[in-house]
Amino acid sequence: MSILQNMAIKHKLISIIMLACITSLVLAGAAFIGWERSTFRSEMVDSLSTQAEMIAENCTAALAFQDAEDAKQTLQALHVEPSIVFGCVYNKDSKLFATYYRDYAEIKVHPSEFQEIGFSFAEGFLTVYKPIVLDGEMVGTVCLRSDMSPMYAMLKHNISIIVTVVLLSSFAAFLVSSRLQKVISGPILSLAEVAKVVSEKKDYSTRALKQSNDEVGLLIDAFNEMLEQIQQRDSALVDAKEQLEVRVEQRTAELTTANEQLTREIAVRKKAEERQAQLLKQLESTNKELNDFAYVVSHDLKAPLRGISTLANWMSTDYADKFDEEGRGQINLLLSRVDRMHNLIEGILQYSRVGRVKEQKLQVNLNELVPDIIDMIASPENITVTVENELPVIECEQTRITQVFQNLLSNAVKYMDRPQGQIRVGCVEENGFWKFSVADNGPGIEERHFEKIFQIFQTLSPRDEVESTGVGLTLVKKIVEMYGGKIWVESKMGEGSTFFFTLLKQKVGGKNAKPQASVVSRR
Amino acid sequence: MRIKTYIFVVLALALFAAPISVQAKDDSAQNREYQVKAAFLYNFIKFVDWPKEKMADINEPIIIGIMGKDPFGDAFEPIKDKQVKGRKLVINRLKGLEELKKSSEKDKSKLQREIEALRKCHLLFICSSEKENFEEIIETLEGSSVLTVEETAGFLESGGIINFIMEEKKVRFEINVTATKRAKLKIRSQLLRLAKRVVEEKPSDEAKS
Repeated sequence: MSILQNMAIKHKLISIIMLACITSLVLAGAAFIGWERSTFRSEMVDSLSTQAEMIAENCTAALAFQDAEDAKQTLQALHVEPSIVFGCVYNKDSKLFATYYRDYAEIKVHPSEFQEIGFSFAEGFLTVYKPIVLDGEMVGTVCLRSDMSPMYAMLKHNISIIVTVVLLSSFAAFLVSSRLQKVISGPILSLAEVAKVVSEKKDYSTRALKQSNDEVGLLIDAFNEMLEQIQQRDSALVDAKEQLEVRVEQRTAELTTANEQLTREIAVRKKAEERQAQLLKQLESTNKELNDFAYVVSHDLKAPLRGISTLANWMSTDYADKFDEEGRGQINLLLSRVDRMHNLIEGILQYSRVGRVKEQKLQVNLNELVPDIIDMIASPENITVTVENELPVIECEQTRITQVFQNLLSNAVKYMDRPQGQIRVGCVEENGFWKFSVADNGPGIEERHFEKIFQIFQTLSPRDEVESTGVGLTLVKKIVEMYGGKIWVESKMGEGSTFFFTLLKQKVGGKNAKPQASVVSRR
Repeated sequence: MRIKTYIFVVLALALFAAPISVQAKDDSAQNREYQVKAAFLYNFIKFVDWPKEKMADINEPIIIGIMGKDPFGDAFEPIKDKQVKGRKLVINRLKGLEELKKSSEKDKSKLQREIEALRKCHLLFICSSEKENFEEIIETLEGSSVLTVEETAGFLESGGIINFIMEEKKVRFEINVTATKRAKLKIRSQLLRLAKRVVEEKPSDEAKS
C-alpha cells in the first residue's frame, strides 16, 4: 500500500485499475478452468461408467456360460473409444476373465487391484469399476481404464487460451485506463500545477480551470475562492501597509514636534528648577542667618542683662536703707523685669537651638522620663499629675522630648484655676503614629485662639498675671514638626483643654531597647 | 497317561479325516463337467422367458426336472438354495419313461399324474438313458412350454431345444430355435450368441407341423 501511496496520481489510478482488472480476470479464468476440469472429470467418469455398464450388460451371458472368448469380443468393441487403454472382466471369484489392451498401452497398464465398484484417478488414468449383475446376482466385475492425457491436453490448451485472453485484456485495460485516468487525474494535475505556480510566484491572480462538476470540480471551485480571498487579503494588506507607512511618517513628524516641544519645556523647567534651587539656597542662608542672628543677639544680650541684674541686686542690698519705699519698689520691679528679659532671651535661645544643635538620638523610655519631668516641675499639692497608660519607647533626642513634655505639663500647671487640679498624660497608637495627649481640667481655651497659642511671643493672659514668655508652645510645635508629627489642641471653655501631638512610630529594637533607655535616662 | 493317549487318538483321527474329506470333494473330470452343466441349467433359466400362463403364480417355484438315470450326483448342491427370477428353485428327479410306464401299468391315473408332473417342469433335463424315448417324451410335453435339455448328439433334430456338447474339454451348447418357438419360449439373443450352433427348421417343416 505504501508503494501505491507514493506514486503519482496518474500511475496510482492506472495501477489500481490494472490490479482490479487482472485480479478479476485471473480469478474468473481460474474459476473457469477449475470448473472445466471438474466438468471434464465428471463427464469422463459418466461416459466411462456408461461404457462399463454396457460392457457389463453384454458380458452377463458370457460370464454365466464361462465363454471368455465372447467376453473378449465384447471388450474389443472398446477400440472405437481411443482414450480407453485397458478393459477387463473379472468373474465372481475375482479372477481375471477377459482383458482388452489398446495396442500401444499393453505394457504400460496392468490390471490394478480388484475393486468391486467406483472410480479412481491415479497416475493420469481414470479407472472405473462396475459390477456385472445377472438376475439380481453379481456374477462379475468390469473394469475400464481411460487415459486422461487428452483431457489434460485440452485443459492446457484452454489455460493457454485464457492466459492469452488475460494478457490481451490487461493490455486493453492498460490502454483504456491510461486514456481514461486523465478524466480524474487531469483536473487534479492542473490544480496542482496552479497551486505550484501560486506558491512559487506568489501570484494570487491565477485561477484553476474547472473541467468537471464532480468532487474535483468542487475542490477547484473552493481553491479558486480561496485564491480570490487571498488576493483580496493580499491587496488589503498592501493597502494597509501603504497607509501604515503614511501614518508612521505622520506620527514621526508629530513625535518630532512633540519632542522638540518637550525639549523646550524641559529646558524651561530646568531653568525654573535652577531658580527654585537658588531661591531655596537663598532662603536657607537667610534662615540660617536669621537663626544665627537670633542666637547671637540673645547670647550677646545676656551679658549686659547679667550686668544690669547684678547691679540692681547690689543696689537693692547695698542701698536698701537709703531708698524709700517707692525706690525699693521700683528696684524690685526692675529686678523682675530683668528676670523676664532673661527668660525671654533664654526662650529665644532655646528656640533657635532647636534644629541647629543636633544631639545623638537615643532609645528613650517615656515610662521613666515622664515621671522624672513631673517630679522636676514640682507642682502644687492641689494638682495631681497621672500617667494613664503605659508609654512607648521612642528613638529621639532626649532633651527635645523632655522640652515637649516639660512645656505642656508646666503650662497645664501654670494656668490651673481649680482647687483640685487634675492633669493626665496618655498615649494611643493610631495609623502608624503614637498619639500623645496631655489633658487638664483648667480654664480652657477659646476656639479662636487654637492657632494663636502656637505663635511666638503670644500669651493669652497679661504678663503680670501669669509669668510667661510666649515661647514654650512655639518651641513644642517646632520640635514635634521636626520629628514629622503634628500638634493641636481641643478645648471647651470652663472644662479644660487637651493638647495632642503625634510622633512617627519607629521600628524600635523591640523590648531590648528598654534597659538601654533606662540607662540613658539615669545618666 | 490316559489323557495323552486320548489326545493322540483325536489328533490322529483329525489327520486322517482331513484327506478323506478333501478326497470327497476332489472332483473327477466328469464330476466337474456336471457341476458346470448344473450351473448352465440354472443360468439358462435366466435367459429364457416362459409364457405368462406358465409363470402365473409368483409363489410357485421354478422346477428343474431330471428325467432318467441322474448323472449329476451332488452337482446341484451349490445352486439348490438359490432363487431365480424371484422364485424358489426346485430340483425334481423323475423316473425314465420306460420305468414310468412299467410302474403305472396297473394304475392309469398314476401315469397321468407322473406325466402331469413332467409337463409341470420349467426345464427338463433328459438324461442320455432316455435316448430311445426322446421323440415320445417330446410328444408328451407338447404345448406345456418345457425347456428341454439333452446331452446327446442329434437331440435337436428330434425336436429338443438345447443340447450340451463338449468342445476342447469345455461345455458348450446348441439351440433349436424352431422348437423354442413351438414351445412358446423366448430365448434371449445373448444366449443365442453364445450357442455353438443354432438350428432352424426349414419353413416347409414348420408349415407341415
